[in-house]
Amino acid sequence: MGSYLHNKKLLLVDDEPELLKMIASILYNDGFENIVTASTAADAISTAKNGSPDLVVLDVMLPDGDGFSVMREIREFTNVPVIFLTAKDEAEDKLAGLGLGADDYIVKPFLPLEFLLRVHAVLRRCYKEDSPMIQLEGCTVDFSRAEVNKAGEVIPLTAKEHTLLETLARNEGRIVTVDALCEALWGDNPFGYENSLNAHVRRVREKIETNPSKPVSLITIKGLGYKLNTRK
Amino acid sequence: MKSFAKYISKRLLFFAAFVIFLLLINLLAFGLVFQDSMSEDYGENSPKRMLEEVSEALTQDGLPDNVFEKLENNHIWAMLLDDNGNSIWAAFTPKEIPAAYSLQDVALFSKGYLQDYPVFTWNTENGLLVLGYPKDSYAKITDNYYSVRSVQRMPAYFFGTLLLDLLLLFLAYYFSKQKILKNTGPIVAAVETLSDGTPAHLSVNGELSAIAESINKTSEILSRQNDARANWISGVSHDIRTPLSMIMGYAEQLQSDTHLTDTERKMTAIIIKHSERIRNLVSDLNLASKLEYNMQPISVKQENAVAIVRQAAVDFINTDIYDKYPIEWLTDEELSACLIHADRDLLKRAISNLIQNCINHNENGCTIYVSVSIEQNNCVIRVEDNGIGASDEQIEKLNTAPHYMVCDTNTTEQRHGLGLLIVKQIVDSHNGTTYIEHSTFGGFAVKLKLPM
Repeated sequence: MGSYLHNKKLLLVDDEPELLKMIASILYNDGFENIVTASTAADAISTAKNGSPDLVVLDVMLPDGDGFSVMREIREFTNVPVIFLTAKDEAEDKLAGLGLGADDYIVKPFLPLEFLLRVHAVLRRCYKEDSPMIQLEGCTVDFSRAEVNKAGEVIPLTAKEHTLLETLARNEGRIVTVDALCEALWGDNPFGYENSLNAHVRRVREKIETNPSKPVSLITIKGLGYKLNTRK
Repeated sequence: MKSFAKYISKRLLFFAAFVIFLLLINLLAFGLVFQDSMSEDYGENSPKRMLEEVSEALTQDGLPDNVFEKLENNHIWAMLLDDNGNSIWAAFTPKEIPAAYSLQDVALFSKGYLQDYPVFTWNTENGLLVLGYPKDSYAKITDNYYSVRSVQRMPAYFFGTLLLDLLLLFLAYYFSKQKILKNTGPIVAAVETLSDGTPAHLSVNGELSAIAESINKTSEILSRQNDARANWISGVSHDIRTPLSMIMGYAEQLQSDTHLTDTERKMTAIIIKHSERIRNLVSDLNLASKLEYNMQPISVKQENAVAIVRQAAVDFINTDIYDKYPIEWLTDEELSACLIHADRDLLKRAISNLIQNCINHNENGCTIYVSVSIEQNNCVIRVEDNGIGASDEQIEKLNTAPHYMVCDTNTTEQRHGLGLLIVKQIVDSHNGTTYIEHSTFGGFAVKLKLPM
């Protein structure tokens, strides 16, 4: 998993010291070395202010306030990404309804692997300027310049092709449904764009695949969606 | 509501019988009241009988004693007038009664009164017999004539009035019934909603306000109890989550510890597997109880069912690293959208539960078949597998028997998870139907039918 992310500074907030210790150890074992913790709302806010973390993992239930108000206060001075840890009863729609713009929420209890995946996903999404390049079989994609470098040849990407590849790259190795892709390309309620999506996929393949009729990077999962395989 | 209207209609028959009964009662009352005067009018001492008796008994020698006494006892006077209007015989005549009459006099009194005495006349061989009854004993109708047309109209009038009366009675009955239905309708509806377990509220006014008030009170108590139960479950499940996080977190870290022996690693794997089971159960329990007691907020919007089901399927494929449960997408390529009114998250949860159900019941793996189609203006979602399936009996039971969580009797049967219950609850809240069947692929199949 992208090692450049391991330099990021993480702030963990939970009132349960043992849980805090466990999350810290999960992250430490994964390679994160810059971890600070807080167990109260007040502590969390001052640490966020002085320590300028790159990501805050925030428990919703704190002894001196709730995570939602902590986030609102943090937002006053920084746009640091926030992942909520909830015990589910705080209702997902409450999180959504608050419109706080949390980057993700993780429901307790969680498996360490799942937790790490979500943390990495948020970091990757929020600090993508750190990683504007992906390596594919036979080519390199530079998102900051919207270019594909294939066998010494530089091929430009259109805006839609860029969005398509970027959406797939964010979910690298995982299937993205046609609906999600259409939504990323054409916005809400994208019905009847399947043919256009096919056309865009075809053109992207011509740019990134060595043999576009036998794709190895941008794979079709019949009826469901597409998947991008990157070279590790 | 229907049964109530039927009940009211049954009353109609009773009502009709009652009208007939009323008529009979009236006749009986008439008989009782006029029994005495009937004999007076038509009995032994009636003018008609008396005239006959006197005219038969009257001879040249006057009246026999018994008839004479009878006249005296009844205070009746009598006289016989000859052809010229002169009295040729008289008995008990008061002083003011003259002894001779002109033709006009006779014509006048024969119809009515003579000096206020009601008189009755009878034509005999010897002359005109006149009987005078005591004053104020009989009323005589002096102008007793009717046009033939009036008489001819009598039957029509009689039956017409009867029909009109019956019609008016029925209308009175009908409108009072409508009024009762209108007043009781909301109450009956409220009681019916209550029996479904949903809270009811009635506006408290009008004659039936007392009933409305007690229904509101009952509803309040019921929803308070339901809220308490749902809150209790939600509290417990909330408190279980944090300790469970610790168990799962350390168990997974332990598993990747290279110092563990194979047996220890297997034990750890079992701990992880079962903590996940507890996790699923806890969140299912909470959702099921919230759905059951209508505490789950459902936000319905127009959604594309194909996209929701596709996302649920893809989420499973993305996490199934060992490809033990491949998912085949059988939706027609042409069908890219199937618009329904649904709560996106809940519907996705239902599909995920069905896929998870296939996985839970097929430890050795199976292929899962997922499809969306449009059948007769319904959105039909199928999740099937080619696994071990279920017996006819089990399927029958899953389709008909209530789940233990919503069942009020103690059941000793083996308990199943809450996955299918939640699916049914979610589908119900979308006005859809859940069908549990054998799959044509050999295993278990669940079909969800949602209105479009």
